[in-house]
Amino acid sequence: MARVHGKKYVLLLLPTLVFLGVFFLVPLLMVVIDSICGSGGEGILFNYFVFFKDHVSRTAYLRSIRIGLWVTGLSAIISYPTALAIASINNKTLKTVFMTLMVLPLMTNPVARTFAWLAVLGRYGLLNNLLLSAKIIEEPVRMLYTEGAVLIGLLQLFMPMMILSISSALENIPEDLSLAARSLGASGFQTFVRVTFPLSVEGLITGGTLVFTGSITAYVTPAILGGSRVLMLSTLLYQKAAVVLDWDMATTIAVMMFLTTLLINTGLRSIGKVGRR
Amino acid sequence: MSGKIFVYIMLAIAIIFLIGPFIIIFAASFSESEVLSFPPKGFTLHWFKKVITMPMFIRSFETSLWLAVLASLLALLLGIPVAYVLARFDFPGKRFVEILTTLPVIIPQMVAGLALLRIFIIMGIFSIRTTLLIGHTAIVLPFAVRIISSSILNLPHSIEEAAISLGASRFRVFVNVVLPNITVGIISAFILTFITSFNNVPISLFLTGPGISTLPIVMMTYMEYYYDPSIAALATLLILITLGVVLTMQKLLGVSKMI
Amino acid sequence: MAFLKLENVSVGYHKNEFVVKDLTLDVERGEFVSLLGPSGCGKTTTLRVIAGFLRVQRGRIVINGKVYNNIPPNKRNIGFVFQNYALFPHLNVFENVAFGLKIRRFPKDVIKKKVSEVLEFVGLKGFEERLPSQLSGGQQQRVAIARAIVVKPDLLLMDEPLSNLDAKLRIEMRAELRRMQKELGITTVYVTHDQAEALSLSDRVAVMNRGRIEQFDTPENLFLNPKTLFVARFVGFQDFVEGEVVDAEIDLITVRVGNTTLKARSMDRSSLGMKVILVARPKNFEILESRSTNSLKGEIVSKIFQGDNILYVIKVPDVGYLKVEIPVENAKWREKEVVFLRVDPENCLAFSKEE
Repeated sequence: MARVHGKKYVLLLLPTLVFLGVFFLVPLLMVVIDSICGSGGEGILFNYFVFFKDHVSRTAYLRSIRIGLWVTGLSAIISYPTALAIASINNKTLKTVFMTLMVLPLMTNPVARTFAWLAVLGRYGLLNNLLLSAKIIEEPVRMLYTEGAVLIGLLQLFMPMMILSISSALENIPEDLSLAARSLGASGFQTFVRVTFPLSVEGLITGGTLVFTGSITAYVTPAILGGSRVLMLSTLLYQKAAVVLDWDMATTIAVMMFLTTLLINTGLRSIGKVGRR
Repeated sequence: MSGKIFVYIMLAIAIIFLIGPFIIIFAASFSESEVLSFPPKGFTLHWFKKVITMPMFIRSFETSLWLAVLASLLALLLGIPVAYVLARFDFPGKRFVEILTTLPVIIPQMVAGLALLRIFIIMGIFSIRTTLLIGHTAIVLPFAVRIISSSILNLPHSIEEAAISLGASRFRVFVNVVLPNITVGIISAFILTFITSFNNVPISLFLTGPGISTLPIVMMTYMEYYYDPSIAALATLLILITLGVVLTMQKLLGVSKMI
Repeated sequence: MAFLKLENVSVGYHKNEFVVKDLTLDVERGEFVSLLGPSGCGKTTTLRVIAGFLRVQRGRIVINGKVYNNIPPNKRNIGFVFQNYALFPHLNVFENVAFGLKIRRFPKDVIKKKVSEVLEFVGLKGFEERLPSQLSGGQQQRVAIARAIVVKPDLLLMDEPLSNLDAKLRIEMRAELRRMQKELGITTVYVTHDQAEALSLSDRVAVMNRGRIEQFDTPENLFLNPKTLFVARFVGFQDFVEGEVVDAEIDLITVRVGNTTLKARSMDRSSLGMKVILVARPKNFEILESRSTNSLKGEIVSKIFQGDNILYVIKVPDVGYLKVEIPVENAKWREKEVVFLRVDPENCLAFSKEE
């Protein structure tokens, strides 16, 4: 890495710094300060009191966190073995095919992806049709607009990130390590528990932060699969901002969203650091 | 080894869970029934014809398209110099620049969208079009910087020094030596930013209005009122296009580009 | 007057931490000078400072009478050959070599002529169309050299250009480099950590250690008369014994080692009572059956076959284990035998021991 000769290089950075600073950072800060101070002169942090006091917003907030944790946990449980499976494939082409299958969903439109669940969970969708023809139920069951539906939608949306994250951590573990463990007498299971898993924990943490953050901040899935019955932080935010036009509340919700993700991310990261001796 | 079988079963489950929906959308888009259903009843291309000809879809598609192209180009224009400086130099305040350029990824997009809406649109500073462009560019900029940075890091600095020792000015070095060797990175960055912008919902959500809307937003609005397979057809088209782009990109670059 | 002068040059990457300290060096026109030393000694830093890739904190760089401190690297007309060749991957051999000429705006036909000539000079005629990825290490090396010299630079700088080649090729290229440099008469500064390479290629060698030059001399002088312990060790002298000076004449001193005394050549005027370290080359030792002048008694601990010679490890009481190489024909001693280890005072050098 070279040392900078003179300040000419600041010029190259200037456009971007100005762009992000003025057009991105400044509006954000303005809006955050507004929500803290309250535009109606009610005093500092008044809006936040209201946020926690009001039944609707409190429920939405706790629901978001709850579902976020569920999605993160479930995705970890399903993704880990999947990533292991991919990592153990020796055929390079086959491995590439699977990796592409994992990456592909991330590139597609979230609206389209979530929409598919309408076709599965809807009144005339796949599940209901199957259950009806198997005579398990007599009338179509309402599956949409439940927490379960949102959970499934979010799971499908974010699982690829978890899989990719764990995969990448697994790929970074030198093959020789498990061979060394075996030569020292460890069984396959022991090798996994004592060698492979600890070394891949970082991937879990990274994936976890991505999934949790995504789940809390996602809009499309809760909107389409949850509607106003299953209000989450993001759908509530939209309601307050675009429908009711309650700016203060909307901004407060936005800031809560940001703070929560920031907190959880920092928390998860420090768990990762502590775990590393 | 039961362990091996277990993981492969999980892999199969994961694949079905992740890819299954695409197949369902695909099949459902051909259904003749007026209501979205699966398994599909009958076969028709009617919905495809419908979505291709509906004005609101066409207009929003165009909007999404120019937005994605402009945002990507702008992100590249702003991002390439930054990527170069970050990849090659150390300087006081480098950490700050790194954080600033990653900020749009850390901040929830809805929050950013809200902020832009309140400050620029409501206060009448910029038009909706401009604010949309600003929002999209900001969101995709971090990706551009990251991909191009990594491209530049793969090019040994000594190659630039060789050119300098032969008499080339820094500018010439950049144009004649650096750029040709990071072309692959630039193209990947463009494709990634394009797709990210095109598919974006959270930012566009707040920044669309009468007369101007992006395709994903329009799709969502349509879904609120109509329950027919039109969206399925549209989704199928979009997915096929994305598939085409990703596969071509892979052919050209290999899967070394991990997000 | 020297063509290249470094006057009290100090260079550092961080404030007050100097990698190169107060360095002074003179290189004559047409001379081949090597900077030799272990990694971290500052030799590459010095080279990059001459090229202009690094700024000088103190001191001056003077080339042909002109001060170069503030001249940007792309205006110095100095050729640089990198350790990893740094060929432009997107350009073929012709375009790589023509790069500097294009910048200097030579007309197309002149460029074509010059490139052909230099490619022939380095032995790569016919390789114009190839890409760097299609060349072997040695071939890439030659392209790098061709590219640097075709613009007729005032000075040629080379940063360990041969270290990425296999042993055999390295030796071949050494001869090639020498030939090319002599034919062109171009002033060259060469950086390497390989002692044999520096000594065989150069008119003079600067041995560097921790940012300073320990000795700047002809290869012969360095080899025969190293001025410091560091240089001696670097050119192949091995630590022998330590002792105290009991008698000192002009050059030859007598050193008490254990119960005996040995005579040795003092390289830095060690005086009576000083502690010194004696060094000698492994092949300058003799093994004798009986005590002789300047010898130590010891027991053979191992006998290791090395092809042309045998390596004996001998345990000398109160001293330690010493290694000695004896030609196979003369190596008749076996393990556990008691022998006498002798070295001629001429071949035994003494350096004051630093506290």
